[in-house]
Amino acid sequence: MEPGLLKSADWPFLIDLYFFLGGIAGGAFVIATVATLLDAQRYRDLTRVGYYLALLAILPGPILLTVDLGIPSRFLHMLMVSKPTTAIGMHAINIGPFHLKPFSPMSAGAWALMVFSACAFLAALLTFLEDRGNPRLGTTRLVIGIVGGVFGFFIAAYPGVLLGATARPLFISAHWLGALFLAVGAATGGAAIALVLSLVGGQTSDSLSRLMKVTAIALVLELVFLALFVVSVSATGSRGIREALAQLLVGSDAIFFWVGAVVVGLVIPLLLQVGGVIRKATPGMTALVSALVIVGGFLVKYVIIVAGQRVLS
Amino acid sequence: MARTLAMFTDVSLCIGCRACQVACKQWNQLAPEEPEWTGTYQNHHHFTDKSYRLVRFFEQSDGQGALTWHMMSDVCKHCAQAGCLEACPTGAIYRTEYGTVNINQDICNGCRYCVSACPFGVVAYNEDTGTATKCTFCNDRIHNGLGPACAKACPTQSIRFGFRDELAAQARKRVDDLKRMGVKEAQLYGEDQSGPVGGLNAFFLLLDKPSLYGLPENPKLPQGNVLVDSLLSIGAALMVGLGAVVAFRDRGGKGSA
Ligand code: SF4
Ligand code: SF4
Repeated sequence: MEPGLLKSADWPFLIDLYFFLGGIAGGAFVIATVATLLDAQRYRDLTRVGYYLALLAILPGPILLTVDLGIPSRFLHMLMVSKPTTAIGMHAINIGPFHLKPFSPMSAGAWALMVFSACAFLAALLTFLEDRGNPRLGTTRLVIGIVGGVFGFFIAAYPGVLLGATARPLFISAHWLGALFLAVGAATGGAAIALVLSLVGGQTSDSLSRLMKVTAIALVLELVFLALFVVSVSATGSRGIREALAQLLVGSDAIFFWVGAVVVGLVIPLLLQVGGVIRKATPGMTALVSALVIVGGFLVKYVIIVAGQRVLS
Repeated sequence: MARTLAMFTDVSLCIGCRACQVACKQWNQLAPEEPEWTGTYQNHHHFTDKSYRLVRFFEQSDGQGALTWHMMSDVCKHCAQAGCLEACPTGAIYRTEYGTVNINQDICNGCRYCVSACPFGVVAYNEDTGTATKCTFCNDRIHNGLGPACAKACPTQSIRFGFRDELAAQARKRVDDLKRMGVKEAQLYGEDQSGPVGGLNAFFLLLDKPSLYGLPENPKLPQGNVLVDSLLSIGAALMVGLGAVVAFRDRGGKGSA
């Protein structure tokens, strides 16, 4: 379809930051949960760092989102409304004063942010208590880990789905943004844990090399989804949409895209990892690769949002 | 639900007087704005938070030096499947019993998602109130049997307001008449309820293809992407999860401390 005259929400940097931190939080939480499920004892340090990071990264989320609202004091309206569900959209659900609109990723995301924040808080709390010698709460920990993991994936992916549900030319026929953002979340989440572990030291070389492996897998997926995004958008055959894509690939945003997101964030870390960091994860190299992955993960989301929001004359 | 109300804008009757634009500003008490020089009589490139009605002007060249002057009074389409409404996380955007789409200013919290979700670029964000705004079909007037201010003011009946079924019949007849008179490109936009976004409750008779007027040829409900995108994300989650399991499982293998 040929897009007509459109407007942009002009979401500022705060939103890019939230999407980025949410991805780290979700990714770190999922990785910590998988590790602890497979061998809680062996991956103790990794799990601790993962859950703490998830909490730290998600804490600013609600604040960033609220500050960006036109009327911040109305942030609760995201969850509560006084209208019959039939009047506010497809498959809207009312429970008491609350509402959920499953086809509005922003509505679903607000709820997911609540649930995930609670899980991140509880997981970090349990980790803290266990470190202080309290007994392990096996089942509770398991439930929080799994529920939080599911919502962690959600928090990482939903911003991509949210962008995909706008009329912006770059997004209206894109289908891979949710998957892409999820992969970026996993890569940056894994890299963030690895960065912290490699900086604090300790007997972590096994954990580091495994983290590099997850991160490498996530980076490969990221590369694939990014390519699918670009190819599927360019295949729509609409001039307006192709122009929006050109803005990203050859226009004023292209340098961030190619140099920042692709070369620094994907190609170099992948080459380093395949070239040996996975096998022999020295703290120095791990820290370097992790930092690159984090920077690249931020840039790939940032540049896509910026290019998508730009109104071309 | 009461019978659906609609607006039919026939651009073949528009004389570009902009009485509608002025009437809209006055009735809705929309504050003055800096004029924008667009190179034509059109003031404002696009809808703003203080201009819900906008008369657009276009010059079309036939390539041999002859110009056709097009004018069209544009407005929120009150889509049967509205991207703005589906996007709104607060439920501020709602459908009235007449089938129109409104933004409740007491509920909107200014997240601006609707602004980017409208396939026609209608909704605008008002910095002063911190909320999103757009045409309501003069909600206060239509609930008192008055009809929107723009339609009332239009001296040529280019803008007509009434029950959707009656207006659609008039529109179809008018397009047939025009075709018979030799206006080959005359066409209806948004009248077909089985068409894109379930039809528009503000539909148009255009004298050329929609893109000439800045309208999308085939508007799409952005939320149509949500299901597919979510399924692909779930697939990606499974792959990442599997990858993590593989990475953390092989015990005591290479690289163990
Ligand atoms: S034209 Fe835009 S603002 Fe108007 S109802 Fe449709 S989606 Fe909403
Ligand atoms: S800006 Fe207001 S009307 Fe628009 S989506 Fe957000 S809450 Fe709804």
